[in-house]
Amino acid sequence: MGTFRTSDRLAAEELFHACYPRLAGWIRRLVDDDDTAHEIASEAFTRLLARWSSLDNPQSYLYMIATNLIRDHWRKVGRERRALRAVSATIPAESVHHPAQDVDVRALIQGLPDRLRQPFLLHYYAGFPIRDVAEMLGRPEGTVKADLHHARARLRAVLGEAHG
Amino acid sequence: MDEPRDDIDTWLETRVTPLQPHPGTFEQIRRRARRRKAGRAALTAAGAVVVLAGAITVPRLILNGPVGSTPVAQQGPTTPAQRSSTGPGKTTGTGTPRPDHKTAAPTTAAPPPVPPNFAASSVTFVSPYTGWVIGQAGTPGHCGPPKAYDCTSVAITNDRGRTWHGSPAPVTGAPNGGTGAGQIRSLDGVSAWAFGPQLYATHDGGHTWTHIPTHGMRVTDLETVAGIVYAVWAKCASTGADFAAGCTTFSLYSSPAGHDNWSPVPGATGLQASGGAPGSAQLVLTGASGYLMAPGGQLIGGPVTRPASWRTVTTAAGIPAPLPCPPGASETGGHPLQAMLASTGPGLVLLCAGQASGNQQAKTLYYSADGGRSWSPAGSAPARGIAMSLSGTPTGPVLVATSDGIAFSTNAPGASGALTWRNARGATAVGGYTYVGMTTSLQGVAVPANVNLNGVWFTYDGGAHWAESPVR
Repeated sequence: MGTFRTSDRLAAEELFHACYPRLAGWIRRLVDDDDTAHEIASEAFTRLLARWSSLDNPQSYLYMIATNLIRDHWRKVGRERRALRAVSATIPAESVHHPAQDVDVRALIQGLPDRLRQPFLLHYYAGFPIRDVAEMLGRPEGTVKADLHHARARLRAVLGEAHG
Repeated sequence: MDEPRDDIDTWLETRVTPLQPHPGTFEQIRRRARRRKAGRAALTAAGAVVVLAGAITVPRLILNGPVGSTPVAQQGPTTPAQRSSTGPGKTTGTGTPRPDHKTAAPTTAAPPPVPPNFAASSVTFVSPYTGWVIGQAGTPGHCGPPKAYDCTSVAITNDRGRTWHGSPAPVTGAPNGGTGAGQIRSLDGVSAWAFGPQLYATHDGGHTWTHIPTHGMRVTDLETVAGIVYAVWAKCASTGADFAAGCTTFSLYSSPAGHDNWSPVPGATGLQASGGAPGSAQLVLTGASGYLMAPGGQLIGGPVTRPASWRTVTTAAGIPAPLPCPPGASETGGHPLQAMLASTGPGLVLLCAGQASGNQQAKTLYYSADGGRSWSPAGSAPARGIAMSLSGTPTGPVLVATSDGIAFSTNAPGASGALTWRNARGATAVGGYTYVGMTTSLQGVAVPANVNLNGVWFTYDGGAHWAESPVR
């Protein structure tokens, strides 16, 4: 139980080499630094390998795990920032460095409810077809399409307000 | 290309820069996974209720999707019509026994060796480590009984070309009129396509290949990004190895990368050269947009992050933006000979090849920073050698493969004006190279023109130095 079969190991290693750089790069655009991106990508792969024998679509599982870990990271960072602001009024609200071009849209995506954020990231950003996203999330394709539409409409509305 | 855009599109279409793992990451992950697995087993054995308190929302596992790199023995059967060979255990074109799905031992099989005399014709890398080559292998005339045409082979590396192993291949031969396959592209190491002129797809890491009907058309180019695969299907009449020489009408087709559901891309179909003469077309995908250099000399583009119509790229005045040179006829692999397009840095680069004189040829380059709406001169590449392939890099420098070797620019096109060129060292294959492509700004691969050479060439310093990796 605790060991990996040779063929599993080879397949897992192949998937790791094929997917890790892109997954970590994908995560990097959603978090603040390289270390956090590596941490989340490694954790996603750890959970994948721990369940390897029961998975039929490792890549989808990997991105689902990563999406949830990113959400957890955002929540944790948000809690920390709120706590810091509570003890020091001098710390600006956005003291952490973000790549400039990512901040606006990423912050807005963070603000989306889970129900809309997950399909948005998986479809538009990770590139999974709607059918695959529907399977991953256990929702009908029509619901996923509607969620994507609502997510974009909401982001556009907020962007419009911000720029208008 | 004139669709309304907003910050969301810009953000989504910005290319993801891969982040390489630190050395030893995989081993660390494997050990952690093993500990968790063992811990879970212990808890289960003790009858404990395992609660992943607030850790993650465990996703529903997909039981009917495409299978990733799972062991062969776990794969479900496919129908004979879907399979590219006639049954389990049949010797494939690689000369490598295809694992018998019913009886193969699931655990201990070492990767099969590369068949002898492997001559690569195309290569695709999904990461700096993992790449696939397709070519012809075995003893001519004795590759796959009873037909001599079962010689197409695939080999895979997972360590940047240090070692290679054989993999099942489509059962077909070298390009010959309307049959055969000589080119390969992979999206992620799970889904891949062999093409030119026939089209085959795998969605299980190359274990099984499915022939995709193309209604008599030949596939002359194919690229994939962001979960979608695009291919150029052409109506052609030529015979022999030069399968794309007589193509007159070109259409762009696309399919979701995970399954085979091909359909024409609106706005990019029925494309012809002037007067209906034979022509060629080339497809280039960036992380955000796709461009089709059409036989008539116009550029057609569209988004690649979602299914959408493509449109002719226009100038600021709204008229079709002319390319500095038309694509002209095709070379043996299906790509244009007179104009070569590539994405580089944030823009596009175009090489216009002049009339060859002996081993000399003028190669004029142009750069576009606005998606092909306008082009500015970017100097000339070295005249020596006939241009065969053009590649850009994520950071902007450009490489040209010729019949004489490989040349690389030391700067990126753009505000700096003309490109400065140097000849690469170590790119010494007699006959030069038919393909050069950069996986990252530093790592790239080239395919030699000489089919008697059993290897591909790698660079790890942006194209300055190259070394052969024998595929064996």
